[in-house]
Amino acid sequence: MAGYILKRLLSAIPVLLGITVIVFAIMALIPGDPATAILGSFATPENVEKLNRDLGLDKPLVAQYFIWLGNMLQGDFGQSFALNRPVIDELLERFGATLILAGTAFVLCSLFGVMAGVVSAARQYGFADKAITFVVLLGISIPSFFLGMMMILTFAVSLRWFPVSGMWPIYGARDLGALISHLTMPALALAVVATGVIARLSRSAMLEVLRQDFIRTARAKGVPERRVIWRHALRAAMVSIIPVLGIQAGFVLSGAVYVEIVFQWPGVGRMLVDAILKRDILLVQGGVVFVAACYVMFNIAVDVAQSLLDPRIKT
Amino acid sequence: MRTFLSLLARNRLALWGGVVLSVVVLLALITPLLPLAEPDVTDTANRFKPPFSEGALLGTDHLGRDLLSRLLWGTRLSLAVGFAAALIAATVGATIGIIAGFYGGRTDNVIMRGVDMLMAFPYILLALAIVAALGPGLLNALIAVAAVNVPFFARNIRGVTVSIAHKEFVDAARLAGMSNARIILFEILPNVLPVIVIAMSTTIGWMILETAGLSFLGLGSQPPQADLGSMLGEARAALITNPHTSIVPGAMILVIVMCINLLGDGVRDALDPRLKSGALSRPMPATAVDRAEVPAAQGDGLLAVQQLQTQFHVKDRVYRAVGGVDLTVEPGQCLGIIGESGSGKSVTALSIMGLVASPPGVITGGAVRFKGEDLIGAPYETLRSLRGDRVAYIFQDPLSTLHPLYTLGDQLIEAVQSHHRVARAEARRRAIELLTSVRIPNAESRVDSYPHELSGGMRQRVGIAMALANDPEVIIADEPTTALDVTVQAQILSLLDDLRRERGLAIIFITHDFGVVAQLCDRVAVMYAGRIVEEGPTKAILTAPAHPYTARLMACVPELGQGRRRLEAITGLPPVVDKLPAGCAFAERCIKTRDACRGGEIALAQSGARAVRCIDPDVALAETVA
Repeated sequence: MAGYILKRLLSAIPVLLGITVIVFAIMALIPGDPATAILGSFATPENVEKLNRDLGLDKPLVAQYFIWLGNMLQGDFGQSFALNRPVIDELLERFGATLILAGTAFVLCSLFGVMAGVVSAARQYGFADKAITFVVLLGISIPSFFLGMMMILTFAVSLRWFPVSGMWPIYGARDLGALISHLTMPALALAVVATGVIARLSRSAMLEVLRQDFIRTARAKGVPERRVIWRHALRAAMVSIIPVLGIQAGFVLSGAVYVEIVFQWPGVGRMLVDAILKRDILLVQGGVVFVAACYVMFNIAVDVAQSLLDPRIKT
Repeated sequence: MRTFLSLLARNRLALWGGVVLSVVVLLALITPLLPLAEPDVTDTANRFKPPFSEGALLGTDHLGRDLLSRLLWGTRLSLAVGFAAALIAATVGATIGIIAGFYGGRTDNVIMRGVDMLMAFPYILLALAIVAALGPGLLNALIAVAAVNVPFFARNIRGVTVSIAHKEFVDAARLAGMSNARIILFEILPNVLPVIVIAMSTTIGWMILETAGLSFLGLGSQPPQADLGSMLGEARAALITNPHTSIVPGAMILVIVMCINLLGDGVRDALDPRLKSGALSRPMPATAVDRAEVPAAQGDGLLAVQQLQTQFHVKDRVYRAVGGVDLTVEPGQCLGIIGESGSGKSVTALSIMGLVASPPGVITGGAVRFKGEDLIGAPYETLRSLRGDRVAYIFQDPLSTLHPLYTLGDQLIEAVQSHHRVARAEARRRAIELLTSVRIPNAESRVDSYPHELSGGMRQRVGIAMALANDPEVIIADEPTTALDVTVQAQILSLLDDLRRERGLAIIFITHDFGVVAQLCDRVAVMYAGRIVEEGPTKAILTAPAHPYTARLMACVPELGQGRRRLEAITGLPPVVDKLPAGCAFAERCIKTRDACRGGEIALAQSGARAVRCIDPDVALAETVA
């Protein structure tokens, strides 16, 4: 097992390098002079030249890439112009909030999505199946930002169940209760789309498995139907559901940006949008690489989980 | 009928989606011709007018602009951008995918590595990075959304192309001297087009959502021009005071995307033949029963099948897989059921405990009496408590019939615990005991193996062990030795025979192999086209078959030590059981056929211990009885 994990970690290295190359290449596409973009059109030529030298922009592209990569490997993601602080500090501060939001949403969508899919498949063409199919369709069709706004109107403004926005109360204790009441709506809004996608896939994976011979064997043994569905069928279906959970984790992690804007959640997504609008290039670069790297690591965890679940995978 | 109706309902949903979407698209197309207020003219005196006010059907926004007009113009923009993005992503992605799949080798390797790299990014993050580089703007948002969807198309289309690129018609085109470009355009492209269409119809909704999302963030369309996303983004500041300005564009996005998804599902169902006609329906816990009358109980056999009829209802066709079968089996007895594939022998066996997949299977008549109690239509709990406890099954091909992800021990323990309240440690001891009893070496350690770690013969023994878990009275063995080589087959058969003698088991043994029948069975029933054509003591039938079909079936088996006998295949194929001929079903293939054979129903004529369904049996039964 340890060997397998090590193998997967090693295989992540080219992927991570590829990510840095892609991000660097995209940023190199920026039209015009970044220094002018940063300093504004009233900058003096001396200032522009100095900044270019500070940024290493006077060197060839390949050299720029390796300098950038080398610095990143030492934990130096550069300095944010708009915020005037190291990118890595800002990232680490923001990433915790995103992780809480996306992590909760991911747990919710995995749980509800798989459950809805299983019930739907077990009751195929029955009332529960039709009801779930309809709700799921609604879920995958509604933009999370619109859903979030409607939730604010209903549950925060009209019913006053939850605070309108933010992660912590402005006055008062920053305890778990306060966090949960602030977290509930954004996490749900973020989870809905992924729940729908997972439910759809779980349903078809379950239908596929329920037709297999080993399900007939379980029934021939006299295993109670509930156990046939939730143990035998679900366990086998998880083999094709888990990779989709991995993909959906990416959607939840990056889709958090909309929810963070709507609910004023102090996460990486909101930071990135601000950085893009202010053309704070190093912050964008660092943020994208950082989040993508986290996602790659998460997918390794998914692979490991998969190998634990399926003894046929050679570890 | 019910499946048919719900399928229709699904198509009706797709239809509704199509209708509503067409209306929206039509409105978007004729927007410039409609008598609407200018969408971008501000009138701050009239800001935030509520819906249904004078001169503004949906009210006005924070700058006093007419919402209806902005909604229609915005819809027009959103649809155009979403569709354009889908088209670009499909074209670029399909091109990449076809090239990678068609040329293969290093080209494929390099391209797919790049695609994998792009897919390592969380979706929206990549779009943000691209917009960050190109700068905010609707065209840039379109490029970003299209770009992040390219890998999805490339990967899908590559997969399909690879499966096509080595088909015969492509090889033929190559041999005919067609250039690669021509082959791709005229041979490959037409075949991958449906896949491209399916992929587009399932992703275009996403693309509209994503572009709306980028606009919502202020990275897409820039004021005063507005698509639905940026309308929503601008309205957010006034969400609490004037919610209608948010609800109007948001609801429109929801309606559009939902209609597209409905329609997309319809398109996928229509183009993907595997999903047609409800082929992907799961079997229910017990076979459906729809029988008019119950035959009266006769005799007191341990297990008696009476006039059993099982059909498969597929669309409007009815396949009569089992057309009135009678069988009985007593303790310690082994009954063989023999016949070609498709003769209904497995379906008969599965019907006994309601294990025929349903849909499409339906038991339409007859009874199955276990110790006098009718099991057809019995409550699920009654069936479940008998399954595996009193009546156990052994199936063919244990690689697919054992659960691949549970250890042998877990599966055996479960078999015990489904019927007996015993502690896990106790059940595990029993599992090891069972494995030992079917002569699996090192049962102590084997109990923790997974099915894929065992050989075929060993797996079959596990299947037998599982059937024995609760000391059943009847074992139904459905071709348990067909997938095994001859020596293993002989071992398994002698194992079953020992068990029968030691435990007084009743065995119903299904096979297409007369050799196996001769070795194991006291009595044998020969099935053809869903009915029994001959039945009797094994020895009597083997020495003097009465039905011409039995004789021909036996002639197909070469016998050792019998010199050079000609192997005679039976000409023709068994009839399809949805259109059975009147009279003898074997008449088409029989050498003795005469008009009377096709005249009408031929009864199973009983004479002593034997019975035959033929008007001109090869031997008169009365002679052989003595």
